[in-house]
Amino acid sequence: MMHSNLKISTILTAVLTMGAMAVFFISFLLAETEISLLITVALGIGFFIFAKNQSYFENMIIFSNQRPVFFHGLIIIIISLILSICKHEHFALFMIASVTLYATACFGLTLQLGYAGLTNFAGAAFLGIGGYTVAILANNNVPIILSVLFGGITASLIGSLLILPILRTRGHYAALVTIAFSLLFKTFLELNEFLGGPQGIKIPPMNLFGWSFSEPVLGGSFYISYVILSLIVMGVVLGITRLVEKSWLGLHFDSVRIDEVASSCFGINIAFWKITAFTIGNFFIGISGGIYANMLGHIAPTNFTFGDSLILISIVILGGIGNPIGVLPAAFLILVLPEKLQFIQEYRLLLFSILVILVLIYRPDGLLNRPLRKFYKEWGPPFIGK
Amino acid sequence: MENKLLDVTNLTVEFGGLTALSGLDFQLREGELLGLIGPNGSGKTTCFNAITGIYKPSKGSVVLLTKDITGLNSQKIYKSGITRTFQRLRLAVGLSVFDNLVIGDTVDLNTSVLFNLLKRKALRKQVDYQLNKVKNILKIFNPDLVNAIYEPISKLTMIDRRRVEVCRALISRPRVLLLDEPSAGMTSEETREFMDDLLEIKKKTPSLGIILIEHEMSVIQRVTDRCVVLNYGKKIAEGTYKAISCSRDVRVAYLGED
Amino acid sequence: MILDFLDQYLVNGLVLGVIYAMVAVGFTLFFGVLNIIKFSHGDVLMAGGFAALLAHQTLTSLGSELTIFNLIVTIIFAVLSMGLLGALAARFLVLPLKAAPPLNTLLITLMLGLAIREAVRLFYPNGSNPKPFPRLLPDTSTTLQTFQIRTDSLIIIFGGLGAILFLHLLIKNTRLGLAIRAIAQDSETARLMGINFRKIVLGTFALGSGLAALAGVANGLYYNEVNFSMGLFLGVVGFSSAVVGGLGSILGAIIGGFLFALLQTLGAIWFTVPAYKDVFAFIIIIVIMACRPTGLLSESSSDRV
Ligand SMILES: Nc1ncnc2c1ncn2[C@@H]1O[C@H](COP(=O)(O)OP(=O)(O)O)[C@@H](O)[C@H]1O
Ligand SMILES: [Mg+2]
Repeated sequence: MMHSNLKISTILTAVLTMGAMAVFFISFLLAETEISLLITVALGIGFFIFAKNQSYFENMIIFSNQRPVFFHGLIIIIISLILSICKHEHFALFMIASVTLYATACFGLTLQLGYAGLTNFAGAAFLGIGGYTVAILANNNVPIILSVLFGGITASLIGSLLILPILRTRGHYAALVTIAFSLLFKTFLELNEFLGGPQGIKIPPMNLFGWSFSEPVLGGSFYISYVILSLIVMGVVLGITRLVEKSWLGLHFDSVRIDEVASSCFGINIAFWKITAFTIGNFFIGISGGIYANMLGHIAPTNFTFGDSLILISIVILGGIGNPIGVLPAAFLILVLPEKLQFIQEYRLLLFSILVILVLIYRPDGLLNRPLRKFYKEWGPPFIGK
Repeated sequence: MENKLLDVTNLTVEFGGLTALSGLDFQLREGELLGLIGPNGSGKTTCFNAITGIYKPSKGSVVLLTKDITGLNSQKIYKSGITRTFQRLRLAVGLSVFDNLVIGDTVDLNTSVLFNLLKRKALRKQVDYQLNKVKNILKIFNPDLVNAIYEPISKLTMIDRRRVEVCRALISRPRVLLLDEPSAGMTSEETREFMDDLLEIKKKTPSLGIILIEHEMSVIQRVTDRCVVLNYGKKIAEGTYKAISCSRDVRVAYLGED
Repeated sequence: MILDFLDQYLVNGLVLGVIYAMVAVGFTLFFGVLNIIKFSHGDVLMAGGFAALLAHQTLTSLGSELTIFNLIVTIIFAVLSMGLLGALAARFLVLPLKAAPPLNTLLITLMLGLAIREAVRLFYPNGSNPKPFPRLLPDTSTTLQTFQIRTDSLIIIFGGLGAILFLHLLIKNTRLGLAIRAIAQDSETARLMGINFRKIVLGTFALGSGLAALAGVANGLYYNEVNFSMGLFLGVVGFSSAVVGGLGSILGAIIGGFLFALLQTLGAIWFTVPAYKDVFAFIIIIVIMACRPTGLLSESSSDRV
C-alpha cells in the first residue's frame, strides 16, 4: 500500500540527484587544474545545499527503499558510464579502486568502532596482514581468490588473538593493544627478511579464472579489472554490514557499545560480541588489504603505518560513526583531495586531524548521521493515510 | 503463595575499607512485593548490585529457588530470571524504544550470525513477534507509548523513560524484579499512577517477586507486603509497614529521633 | 663482565623507568579526575622536548653561556608551555566532550596527538629529522665503589623521582591536591561540596602535561636527541605502565614504569635484535593485564552503578 505513494516527482528528483553526484564525482576526479577543481567543488557544494533544502536526498532514500531493483540498477549504470568515461585514465581508475578498497576496510572499522564501540587503531596493520599474506601466497602460486580470503582470515585470527585478553579486561584495553600492535607491526616487517625487510615484497599480477588483471580491459587501462573487482567486493561487504546492522546482531553490538553494565544485566556476553565484531571487521580489512596489495604490485612496511591507521579512523569519523554510507564520500574526500591539491599533500595529516577534531566537537555525527535501525523495508510507524 | 523465591544470607559487600553492606539476611516469597528502604548511602543499591552480579559479595550467599547464584556474572543471573532497573537510568538513549525493550529479552533472540544474515524472513517473523510483545507490555504502563515504539528514547519524557526501563526488565518474564527508585523524578500523581500499574503487573503475574527501593513512606505503606530497612549497610528492621514504622531503630535512622 | 652489565643495563633501565613513570603518572592523574585516557600525552612529551630545544637555542643566540642557568630556564619554559598546552587541550577539547560517549574523547585526544606531531614535523625548522639535543648535564662519571655511573644518568634518575615525589606531596598536602583527590573519589559529590570542577580539571591537565614535558627534557638530555615521532611510542609505553600499575594510583604508575623498563632491559639482554625487546615487554605487559585486569595496585574499586 505504501508503494502506490511513490510520486513521479520523487523519482525524478532522486534520479537527478544521483546523476548530479556522478557528474560531480567525474569532474572532481578528472579536474586537471586547481581552478577547475575549485569550480567543481563550489558547484558541488551549491548543489548539495540546494538538494538538501529541497529534500532531494530524502527522496533518494525513499526511492532506494521502495524501488530497490531500479535504484541499484541505476547505480550500476552510472558506474559503468563513469568507467567508460575514465577507461584510459590510469590514475583516476587507481584512485577509484583505492577509495573503494579503503571504504571496504572502513566498513570493517564501522562494525568494530561504530557498532561495537571497539577501538581498532591498527586498521592499516590489518590491511598489511592481508597484503603480506597475499604476497606470500601469490608468490607461491596459490590461486588469488584463495590468497585474498586467506588474507582476511589471517587478519581475523591475529586480531582475535590480540583481543583475547578482553575477556577479562575492560575499557581502553583495545585502544592500547592496537596502537602497540600498529607500531610493532611496522618494526616487525622491517626486520623480517622473509617479508622483504624495509624494501618490501613484489606481488605477481592477479589472475582470476583466466581473467588476467595485467592486461588492458576493453581497450582501456588494466586498472579497470581492479576497479570492478573492488566494487564487487565492496558491494558485498557493504551489504553484509547493513544486514548486520538491521538484525539482532546490530542490536547486540549497539547495546555493548552504549552500556556494558546494562547489557550484561540483560544477558549479553560483552566479550563474545566484541570478539565477534573484531573478527568480522578484521576479515573485511584483511581482504581489502589483499586486493589493494595486488593492485599495487609491490608493498613495503611504509604502506601500513600508524598514520595510515589514523587515516582510516578519520574516514569513519568524518563519514559519521556507525554509518557505512557516510564512509563513501568521506573516503573519497580524504583520499582524493590531497592527490588533487598537491600543495596540501604534505599537510594532509595535520589538516585531517584538525578536521576530525572539529567534526568531533561541532558535528559528532559526521557527514551523514546514522539513522535509527530499520529491521526491514516497511519498518516504522503505521502509515496514517487520510 | 508462601514459596520462598529468593534467599539472601549474610550478604556482605566491601569496597576497600568501606563495608557497604554487612551481613544482610532476608527472603523474598513468590508473589511478594518487598520494600527495601533506608537513608541515602545505606547500601540499598549495593544490595541490588550484589544480587545481580555487578559487585562480587565478599561473604554470604544468594539463592534463587534452589539454585545458588552467589558470585555468578550478571549474564547468568539474568538468565536464571532476575532483572532490574537502575537508580540512574541506563537506557540506550540514541536507540529506539523498540530496541531498548528488546535488549531486555535477549534470551528470546536468535543471535546466530548465519540466521541473522541469511534467514531474513524468519528474522522478520521474530522481529514482528517481539513487536507484539513490546506493544503489549507498553500498553500496561502507558498506551501512548505504543505510538512511540519507533522513536528514540531521547524524545521521551523522564517518566516515560522510567516506564520503558521497567518494561525492559519485565519483558523477559523474570522470576524476580528489582526496582531501584523507579519513582525518582516523578510527581506524586505520576508515582501513584506508576504504582497502580505495578500492582496490576503483580496481579497478572502471581508468582513474580518484586523488590522495590523507594523513599516515599506513603507509597511503601500502600504497595508493599513487607519491608526490609537498612542503615549503614545493616538490616535494622524487617516486617510489614505497620511493624517497622513502630520500630524505634527505624525512627532513629529516619528522623534522627533518639 | 658483571660491572659492564651493571653500567650498561641497570642504569639505562633506571633512567628509562623514571621517564616512563613520569609519563604514566600523567595518565593516572587524567584518568583519576575525568575517567579518560589522553592519547596525546606522548606527543606532549615530545613537544616538551622541542620546546626545551627552542628555549635553549634562543638562550644561546642571546649569548647566555652559563649551562646551569640555561638548563633551568629551558626546563621551566618546557614545563610551563606544555602545562599551558595541557590546560588548553582540557578546556577546548576534553571538557566540551564530557557529555559525549567516552569513545569521542579518546578519538579527539588521539587526533590532537597527531596534530601536535605533524605540527612539529612541518613547522619546526627541519623538524622531520632527528635534532641534536644540547648536553646540559655534566658528562663526568662518578665511581661508586667498583663501577662507574654517568653523572647525567644519576641526575635524571633523581631529578625524575624528585619531580614525582613533589607531585605526590602536592596531591597529598595542598588544597589543590585535596580537590583533585575529592574529584577522583566522587566527582559529583565533590561538585556538590563546592569544588570548582573545571578549574581542578584544568589544573590537573596542566600538572600532568608539565610532568610530561619534564620527561621529554629528560629523554632529550639522556639521548642527546629529540625526534618528532618519539612521543607516540613513549605515550603507549606510559599508558601501558599506568594500566599495569593500576589506573588511578600514582604508586602503581611508578611501579608500572619501572616494570616496563625492567622488561625491556631483560629483552635487550635476551634478544639479539634490539626491536624484539619492545615486543617482549609488550607481550608480558599484556599477559599481566589479562591476569590482573585492574592493575597491580588498583585504588579504584568497581565502577559505580
Ligand atoms: N563502586 C563503589 N565503590 C566505592 N564505594 C561504593 C561503591 N558503590 C557504593 N559505594 C558506597 O557504598 C555505600 C552504599 O551506597 P549505595 O548502595 O549506593 O546506597 P543507597 O543506594 O542506599 O543510597 C555508600 O557509602 C557508597 O559511597
Ligand atoms: Mg541507591
